[in-house]
Amino acid sequence: MMINFLLSGFLVVTFLLVIAKRVTALIRAFMAQAIFLFLYTLYMGFSQLHMELFIVCGLILVLKVIAIPFMLKRIVRRINVEEDLGLLINPQVSMVIALVFTYLSYIFARHTMALTDFAHSAAFIVSLTTVCVGFFLMVSRMKALSQVIGLLVMENGIFLAAGAIAGGMPFFVEIALFFDVFVFIIILEVFVYKVNRLFTHIDTSKMKSLKG
Amino acid sequence: MLIATIIFIPILLTILSSFIKKVKILGMVNAFGYLALLAAFVFFMKDFLAKGSSAVSLWGWIYVDSLSVFFLFTTAVVSFAASVYSIGYIRQEVENSEISVRKASGYFQLFNLFSFTMLMVPVLNNLALIWIAIEMTTLISAFLVGFHNVKESIEAAWKYIVICSVGIAFALLGIIFFYYTSSKDAGVKSLEWASMLSGSGAFDPKIVKLALIFILVGFGTKAGLAPMHNWLPDAHSQALSPVSGLLSGVLIKISLYAMLRFVMLANLSVGYAFSAKIFVFFGIVSIVIAGAFILVQKDLKRLLAYSTVENIGLVSLALGLGPCGGIFAGLLQAFNHAVTKALMFFCAGEAVRAYHGNSMSRMQGMIKVAPFAGTAMFLGLFALVGMPPFSIFVSKLMILISVFNGKHYLLAAIILAFIAMAFAGLLHHISKVVLGNKPNAAQVRKEPLSAKIALVFLGIFILWFGLNIPKPFFDLLVSCERLILGT
Repeated sequence: MMINFLLSGFLVVTFLLVIAKRVTALIRAFMAQAIFLFLYTLYMGFSQLHMELFIVCGLILVLKVIAIPFMLKRIVRRINVEEDLGLLINPQVSMVIALVFTYLSYIFARHTMALTDFAHSAAFIVSLTTVCVGFFLMVSRMKALSQVIGLLVMENGIFLAAGAIAGGMPFFVEIALFFDVFVFIIILEVFVYKVNRLFTHIDTSKMKSLKG
Repeated sequence: MLIATIIFIPILLTILSSFIKKVKILGMVNAFGYLALLAAFVFFMKDFLAKGSSAVSLWGWIYVDSLSVFFLFTTAVVSFAASVYSIGYIRQEVENSEISVRKASGYFQLFNLFSFTMLMVPVLNNLALIWIAIEMTTLISAFLVGFHNVKESIEAAWKYIVICSVGIAFALLGIIFFYYTSSKDAGVKSLEWASMLSGSGAFDPKIVKLALIFILVGFGTKAGLAPMHNWLPDAHSQALSPVSGLLSGVLIKISLYAMLRFVMLANLSVGYAFSAKIFVFFGIVSIVIAGAFILVQKDLKRLLAYSTVENIGLVSLALGLGPCGGIFAGLLQAFNHAVTKALMFFCAGEAVRAYHGNSMSRMQGMIKVAPFAGTAMFLGLFALVGMPPFSIFVSKLMILISVFNGKHYLLAAIILAFIAMAFAGLLHHISKVVLGNKPNAAQVRKEPLSAKIALVFLGIFILWFGLNIPKPFFDLLVSCERLILGT
């Protein structure tokens, strides 16, 4: 029961990411997704009673629920980014595309992975949808910030996939992955500032000086 | 033990470079550090080969077999050359007050961290940690690509970091699929190399194929294979010249290493034929696209970057023809290309300095403006396009032989046509740069000694491996081939 609620919540939040028109809405949706990822891992921790899962939980809470949204909001505040995301594909069509992703993930999970457990296969479908949505956000939104968020969303999806099909990666691998995400977000923050200072905007569709 | 200390030399140098305040001394210390690294590594390699190339594993974290040794050797050679070349290059940047002294020491720190992450990849035992090390190479080298903080370089760095991170995210998904089938079907709940390999016979072929597609596309992006190569010409053309040499020579080969590791893992369940098809596909696409783009380039460093795409395509093609003797040729081509392309990028660095810009329309008569680098570039051009007696000739010929051995005549025709196109394009563009009369604005310049040493060092390898492949290196490649094919 609980797992169904958590996974549906995760999926709904993923759809919210797709229909967000403004940067702050996107960041809020990302934060909500991280909260669901946290709750899912916490639930897994209680059902399996692994100390390591609780540590991973704590890291998700600190890094993805608190630190990363905070940093993203700070970027928005500092560079006075325009609220508008610059959608190349409007929210309605984006939503349809996200639904198609979900359906394809379902087909994919049924035919290739042969997952017997309902909860696992549902989690796997949601995670694949999330990966696709993250990728979609990167290519269909113009702001550099949305590319960062798209990558982080993909990462969330991959994380959920690891939990769903393989019961989580080995412990120190997960710790190393957290470290990687941490370094990644800091470095991207630096680059977003640099892009903003030199181009006076963070619109990646206007970056066209390198060609051929 | 020796291998662990070798890997940590760059970390030591990173710390040292925060303390030394004089740019010239800093560069010298750095170069001596890499000389020590190369010497220690050659020593290690001699020992390794004498013991019959059996894998070395240490503390559960380090695993070194022939394949690792081959890639480490490539890294050690090219990064030594790049560190020597950096001495004069960075000193001139400081003298022309393009960068401050503080920024120069920042350069050496990043340079060392970059080499450190690249040296880590081939020695790590855990496949997920290899992934993380590769992601770290992207994150650190992004600063070296955007080093000058101007519009073009930041744009290139941004593209580089975003495209490569997406690619590598797909590779992570592939790794998770591998982990899934390994824990479910083979009962190995670990990502460690030896234990996964021992269980690889029991992997589910369907999932392995899927995982392999994700991994080859993901790491292929980082390896610069077309059609995911878009970041490469931008990043290689905007990075500082010593770094371009490293990016082109080593970084993309390191991703190739990761691809090969997973291919080896998949061999027992799906056979080499499956990955071979993907390798051949990416190889042909890369050669065709690069061949076309080489003809129309106006920027010297972008031209060389596209030639890198062509060469990595040839390597990939050769690996795809593995069972017909292609793996040996592919690895040899990878090494030869690393050395030759580093040489070409270093020469291009001198040209860019002499003519103040990357644009080839302003470059003419380089042989008069910078006689040493001009000559080296002209000879390097012939080495790059595959003329005898230089080393790429040998490996290209071997690749063609393996294409014919596999009786792929149509493939051979396509490849020959596009290699010829790339040949013509490179010859046309670079001979215009090197020969002719020098424009009045360009002044004859004094080339730094360090650049000459680096070029001669690389030149020796190009000529030496063209005339006669040393026996120990030959044995190393043969044992790599056996490892990859799993025989």
